[in-house]
Amino acid sequence: MRITAFAKRNIKELLRDPLSYVFCLGFPVMMLLLMTVINKSIPPQANMTVFRIDNLCAGITVFGLTFLMLFAAMLTSKDRTSSFLTRLYASPMTAVDFIAGYYLPLLILAVVQAVITFGVSLVIAAIEGVSLSIGGILLAIVTLIPSMVMFIGFGLFFGCKFSDKAAPGLCSAIISAAAILGGIWMDIDAMGGTLAKICKVLPFYHSVNAARLAVDGNIGEAGTSMLIVLAYTVAVAVLSVVAFRHNMNKDN
Amino acid sequence: MEAIVIKNLTKKYGSFTAVDKLDLTIGKGELFGLLGVNGAGKTTTIKMLSCLTKPTDGDAVLLGNSIREKPAEVKKIISISTQETAVAPNLTVRENLEFIAQIYGISDPSAAADKVIADFSLQEKENARTKTLSGGWQRKVSIAMALITNPQILFLDEPTLGLDVLARRELWGVIEKLKTKMTIILTTHYLEEAEALCDRIAIMTQGKLRAMGTAEELKQLAGKDNFEDAFVEIAERAGKGEL
Repeated sequence: MRITAFAKRNIKELLRDPLSYVFCLGFPVMMLLLMTVINKSIPPQANMTVFRIDNLCAGITVFGLTFLMLFAAMLTSKDRTSSFLTRLYASPMTAVDFIAGYYLPLLILAVVQAVITFGVSLVIAAIEGVSLSIGGILLAIVTLIPSMVMFIGFGLFFGCKFSDKAAPGLCSAIISAAAILGGIWMDIDAMGGTLAKICKVLPFYHSVNAARLAVDGNIGEAGTSMLIVLAYTVAVAVLSVVAFRHNMNKDN
Repeated sequence: MEAIVIKNLTKKYGSFTAVDKLDLTIGKGELFGLLGVNGAGKTTTIKMLSCLTKPTDGDAVLLGNSIREKPAEVKKIISISTQETAVAPNLTVRENLEFIAQIYGISDPSAAADKVIADFSLQEKENARTKTLSGGWQRKVSIAMALITNPQILFLDEPTLGLDVLARRELWGVIEKLKTKMTIILTTHYLEEAEALCDRIAIMTQGKLRAMGTAEELKQLAGKDNFEDAFVEIAERAGKGEL
C-alpha cells in the first residue's frame, strides 16, 4: 500500500513535468529523425552504417534512458532539499517503501520510453526499407532492463548525495560519457586503441552492444556484454540503496 | 495524564551541544510552546522527538513509546509539519492529502481528505497543484497534511515562519481549533505567537531549558509587564549564568 502510494506520487510528479516529455521522449525521437536524415546524406561508398536505423535504434534508446537518470536525480534531490522527505522519514514508511517507490515508476517509464523509441524506429525502418524484426526489438528491450535499473540507480545515488543544483550537473557528465563512450554515434569496434579499451571497461558500450546484437538477432553473442552491464547494475543499485539508507539514518 | 516525558535528552554534533540534558513533561491535550532565538535547540528537540535524529544521550517517551526503543511505534502516533513547506509540488492539494492518508494506512483516504479540506477551508484550492499556491496556502496545506492522519501528538516547527500578518493570524485560528484535540508542540521565535496560543511555554537558549510556565508565570519570573521584555530578561540572565 505504502509502496503503491509513493510510486503513484512519483509517477505523477514525473508525468506532470513537461520537461520529462521533452527530454525522455522528444529528444530521442528527434535524434532518430535527425540521424536518419544525416544517414541519407552519407554516400554508400563510405560504407558507414552506424547511423542506419537498425544500428541507431538501440543506441538512441540507451541515450534516452540516460535522461531518466537525470529525472531520478532531480526528483530525489528536490524531495530531499524541500523537506518533503523529512516529513516522510517521520512517517511509518520504511527504507524498502522508499526505494521500491522510487525505482518502480521510473522502471515503468523506462520501458515505455524504450517501447516508443523502438516503435518510432520501426516506422522509420519501414519508410527507409530497412529490415527490423519486432522479435529482435522485444528481446532488445528485455536486454536493456538491467541498463534501465543501472541508470535509475545512478540518478538515485546522485539525488541522495548531492543538492538539486549539483545532481543534474553530475548526471549531465554521465549522459555525455554514455553518448561518447557508448558507441552510439561511432563504431567503437572499428576504432580500436586506448579509447576503445576505455569504452569496453565502462558499461555504456556494453548496454548498446547487447541491445544491438538483440535487434540483429544475434543475442547469443551478447553474453559478455550483458554480464558486464549486470555487474555494473548490481554495484550501482547497491550503492543507491546504501546512499538512501544512509540518508534516512543520518541526522536529518 | 502525560503525553511526553523527556529525560536528560541530549544531542551533540562533535564538540557542539545542540540540546543539553533536557528534562520536560508535557500533558495530554496540551499546546506546549518551545521558544528561543535561532540555534537555541528547538528544532533539534523536535527532530529527536519525531525520530528524525537520534539522541546522543537520554530518552523521551511519547504515550508509552520510547524514541530509542520503539521509533516505528512513535511514528504511527505523531505527525510533523516542518519549518519548510513539505508538499509534493506537482500534486494537487487533494492528492497530497490522500497520499499522506494512504501511507499512514487510513482506510478511506478520500473521506479523510474531504474532512480535512472542510476543516481547513481548502475547497477552492483542492484541485490546484500545490506549486501554484501562495506561501500561506502551501503552509496551510502542509499543516493539513500533518493532521489528516489524526495524530495523537503534533509537532509544528515554526509554522508561521515567513508568512505575512494576515496568513499568520489565519493559521493561528487553525491551531486554536486544534487545542485539546491532540497534544501539540509548537516551536516559534515569534513571542506574540507563543503568548497567544500556548498553554505553557519553555524558553531555551544554547540548548538548555532556562524557564518554563504560562506566559503570565514567565512575566512574573522576569519581573516584567510584557512578554517580550520577559523573554529578553530571561535570555540575558541565562547568558550571565543566573538561570
